[in-house]
Amino acid sequence: MESVIKIEHINKEFKILKKREGLKGSIKDLFSRDYSTLKAVNDISMEIMPGEMVGYLGPNGAGKSTTIKMMTGILKPTSGKIIVNGKVPYTNRTQNAEDIGVVFGQRTQLWWALPVIESFNILKEIYRIDKKTYQDNLEYFDALIGAGELYQKTVRQMSLGQRTLCDILASFLHNPSVVFLDEPTIGLDVSMKSKIRELIRALNKEKGTTVILTTHDMGDVDALCSRIVIIDKGKMIYDNSIEKLRSFFGDYRTVKLKFNKKEEVMQTEALEKEAEDLQSFLKSQFKGAKSLSASVDDKWISVLLKEDEVHMMKVINCIQEKKKIRDMTLEEISTESVIKKIYEGDIQ
Amino acid sequence: MEKQNKSLKKGLRFYMHLYRMILIQDLKSKMSYRADFIISTIGMILTNLSGFAAFWILFRNFPSIKGWSYHEILFLYGFSLLAITPVQCFFDNNWSIYRMVYTGDFIKYCFRPVNLFFYFISEVFDIKGVGQFIFGVGVLAYAWNKLRIPCTPIYLFVLLMSVLSASLFMISLMNLAAATGFWIMGSAYVMIFAFKFKDYARYPITIFNPVFRFIFTFIIPIAFVAYYPSLFLVRADEVPLLTYLSPILGIMFFYLSYKVWMKGAMSYSGTGS
Repeated sequence: MESVIKIEHINKEFKILKKREGLKGSIKDLFSRDYSTLKAVNDISMEIMPGEMVGYLGPNGAGKSTTIKMMTGILKPTSGKIIVNGKVPYTNRTQNAEDIGVVFGQRTQLWWALPVIESFNILKEIYRIDKKTYQDNLEYFDALIGAGELYQKTVRQMSLGQRTLCDILASFLHNPSVVFLDEPTIGLDVSMKSKIRELIRALNKEKGTTVILTTHDMGDVDALCSRIVIIDKGKMIYDNSIEKLRSFFGDYRTVKLKFNKKEEVMQTEALEKEAEDLQSFLKSQFKGAKSLSASVDDKWISVLLKEDEVHMMKVINCIQEKKKIRDMTLEEISTESVIKKIYEGDIQ
Repeated sequence: MEKQNKSLKKGLRFYMHLYRMILIQDLKSKMSYRADFIISTIGMILTNLSGFAAFWILFRNFPSIKGWSYHEILFLYGFSLLAITPVQCFFDNNWSIYRMVYTGDFIKYCFRPVNLFFYFISEVFDIKGVGQFIFGVGVLAYAWNKLRIPCTPIYLFVLLMSVLSASLFMISLMNLAAATGFWIMGSAYVMIFAFKFKDYARYPITIFNPVFRFIFTFIIPIAFVAYYPSLFLVRADEVPLLTYLSPILGIMFFYLSYKVWMKGAMSYSGTGS
């Protein structure tokens, strides 16, 4: 099978003007321009197959948007090769646009003052969608999430969630082979988030559309993506299935504890102090356990441990002998903390 | 391969059809902000009336300027109002570039498989310009009658052609001013500055000193917004070469401004998100 997106060793550098401080510095800046180069994307390669749903993750400023912009043809890579749908995106941006769909953040691409259906009608003309495909899609969207009742509403009267929903529908309207979704669930409530996830999953499955999703919400990743790509500081640090990542961390357990009633009213600093004390105590008790750590997690003291280094029950027993445990929950490590660990450079 | 053929066929008919469709939708949505529509129309009429009043007072005191009679200058005035109508009606979205570039909203125009300039400009039709157009027609008709210019199909055709080529100059000037928004932050001032020139456009170029005459002809060519094209009708016996060239120059200037605009727009890559 041929890949939809093929990226080979792309780099993107930006020239940044070095700014001097103060008024004097600003005046100097006017006359001598001193540039430094920023490597926003550093030697990234990947290949994405038709129908894949890829989560593209990374902390703020990691180079996610820059990569997406290169894939959509807005930016030209400094070096390297990108092929999307068999075409080089930046040499023919307009043609590349025929076969992709984009939803960029919270910016609606629909006409603000028009009912959604009118926006869709204009898109039908722009993308020259034939009548049957268009009708089928409208009915399909309605059957899927009851979009029919939104069609007559104008975009400016919509809630953020409804607007995002319509923007996603609009990006699938012309049956593109790839859709780029940049943080589609940002700022939405829980029920809207799950509705949007459902929609994306259904569209990906039934239409076989390749979806590239950037997000900071690990719920999105858990619900949608089978493959994740993580970049940080422009470099790719992970590209594999999400199961593999979890199994790598499968031995990790999180124990969340509360000792007395005071936690509810305690200052964060005091709690952190308590966690720190607990950590040094546990470290002294279990010398071999490198991964053992304690931290504060929303009024809980959370102890992270790795089963093959030290058994969870031993740790709990040990803590119990020292302090009275009032409340406790056990958790497997979440994707969120896995990603956090990767960002923090704990594993390579 | 099929897709390839499809995109090649995107010719004038496709764009005309699309434009009509977007225009109708835009008008529909304009009507939904009724108060806004009424107030801005009234504002436009008042602006024009006050401009005309200043003009009228001037001619109460001076019967002619450098050999140009009241009615001749009135003709230029009406002509210039017609010539700036297209830029106001059809190219009004240029005024939002600097804001959209600043907020990052401009990026939404970059993902459509149609010409970027077309797609951006087609989004807004500014109906306020229509009031000005009607006012301009009235002024021009009055002066036309007083100057005893024959009212034959040929003359009307010449009028149409000269208004069209004159309008190209104002459109191009504003395109260039708007395109600065892709590179600099304060381009709103550039636009306001450029738009001010329309006030100079309504006077015969001969009243300015040679330096300004040169600037207004060759550098910021506002002399083509009313003076040169209308010489065909007002002073048919002393038509200079530049008048004949004005349609060609207009098209060339427009093409240049389009290229600059596109260069700016294509270099745009959005803000971080």
